[in-house]
Amino acid sequence: MRIGISHKFTMGFIIVVASIVGLNLLVPLLGLDQYWWHQLFSVTGALLVGLVMGALFSRIFTNNIRILREAAERISSGDLSQTVRLSETLFPDETYDLGQSLNKVNDNLRRLVGSVRESSRRVADSAKGLSATAEEMTASSHDLSNTVEQISRGAENQADTIEKTTRLIREMAMNTELVASSAHKVSEAVDLSVQTAQQGGETARQTMERMMQILSDVEKSGAQVVTFGARVQKIGKIVEVINNVAQKTNLLALNATIEAARAGEYGRGFAVVAEEIRKLADSTTESAGEISSLISQIQEEGQGVERSLRSSIDEMAAGKKAIDLTSTAFAEIIDTALNTQVKATSIAELSQRQIEGANEMVAAVDEISQVVSDNAAATQEGSAATQQQSAAMEEMAHAAQDLATYAENLLEQVKRFRLENSTTAD
Amino acid sequence: MEQVLIFRLGGEWFGLEISRIQEIVEEPRLDYVPRSPDWLTGAMNLHGSIIPVLDLALYLGIATMAPPGRVVVLAPVVAILAIGVSDVYRIVRFAPETFLPSAEEDNRRHHIAALYEYEGLVINMLDVVSLSASLQSI
Repeated sequence: MRIGISHKFTMGFIIVVASIVGLNLLVPLLGLDQYWWHQLFSVTGALLVGLVMGALFSRIFTNNIRILREAAERISSGDLSQTVRLSETLFPDETYDLGQSLNKVNDNLRRLVGSVRESSRRVADSAKGLSATAEEMTASSHDLSNTVEQISRGAENQADTIEKTTRLIREMAMNTELVASSAHKVSEAVDLSVQTAQQGGETARQTMERMMQILSDVEKSGAQVVTFGARVQKIGKIVEVINNVAQKTNLLALNATIEAARAGEYGRGFAVVAEEIRKLADSTTESAGEISSLISQIQEEGQGVERSLRSSIDEMAAGKKAIDLTSTAFAEIIDTALNTQVKATSIAELSQRQIEGANEMVAAVDEISQVVSDNAAATQEGSAATQQQSAAMEEMAHAAQDLATYAENLLEQVKRFRLENSTTAD
Repeated sequence: MEQVLIFRLGGEWFGLEISRIQEIVEEPRLDYVPRSPDWLTGAMNLHGSIIPVLDLALYLGIATMAPPGRVVVLAPVVAILAIGVSDVYRIVRFAPETFLPSAEEDNRRHHIAALYEYEGLVINMLDVVSLSASLQSI
């Protein structure tokens, strides 16, 4: 049952007054005759009751106020670990209300400080983590920046290399065009060679035909010369016979002259006839000798003709062989030239394809060059962005450090609040 | 005028009067005569008579290129003998007074009676009597 302090005071007065009154009523029952005893007893009894009641009341009240003051002092010093605990009573008053209120304040403060401490701890942790992350990111962005710079330098080198490559490919294409035009020229030259070789082969065949004609003519002439020689030899034999006859005739004439001489005067006419016969025989012998010398001249010349015919035949055989070789050589030249033509044509085609490939390569390399310059530009942009990012990161790291410092300060501030007995060591 | 047969022995020209000649034969068949000197070429058969043939050039020591080509058969009144000569030329008429005397040495060794000039040729007139005598003396 709640009784206010004012009521308690009132009730105390009433109890004191009632006790005075009661004692005055009780004294006569005690048999005390004298008045003054009477009065003394009553006064003393009243004083005792007043004293006891006052002492009891003020003791309880003072005790409660002390407890409340101590609690308030604890709270103000930051100790929020204890609740206000007033001694149990049947009649709670305003001190109890005050204790309840202090407990509420204490609880609220404890929750607030706990949440502040928790939050500041978390903020500090987060700030540390943030700072570490920012540092890592700064390092990473430095690395990234370095890498981007390397990429940028690499891109420049790449651009140079691509330029060189393009130049080389263009030179290659030009050389290939030279090769192609040379191959065309070779092909044309081979055409001419084939024509010339075919004409040469035709000429060689015609020459061969004429030579065969001449050879058969020469062989015929040779046969005629041999026949002529044989006839001349027959004439020679006939002349030999004539010569023999003439010599015999001469001998007969000589013998006839000898006979005529032996006959003396009768043989004189006969001797004249014999002389005439001898002269005939002499002139026959002379003519036969001339014919013989003519025949030997003819035979010599015939042999010369035969020899020259034979050597002509030999030379013609050699010529035939040479023409055969020439024909074969022309055929081989034609074969080789045709092969060369096929090869030259294929070289020209290959060169054409190579030129096309080189042009495509040039286009591709141009595209690569474009991509590389784009890359270089993008890399430079990336480098700038990375540098900006790096600066931002550094700022963020600074901010995170500041934040951590603030959180530390806050934590330090709320550290003086003791929330629990077990955590008083914090 | 004397008719003389001009004949040749190797490179030398000789002459012989035709009154001392029986006949001129062209390369007769010769039979070998055993144990005869080398200048006796052989023996020939002329109309049934056997006549020895003398290689005159060999006998006189005159160098020849070929064996005798003609045989001159001497008249039987002179000697039974035929002489092989290189060739016979012709029969000419000489006046004996145009003969030139031969050297005594030639006469003794080569049986040359006299010399005669005919158409630029020196003709040695053969002395068949001396020749025959020298043969018989062997």
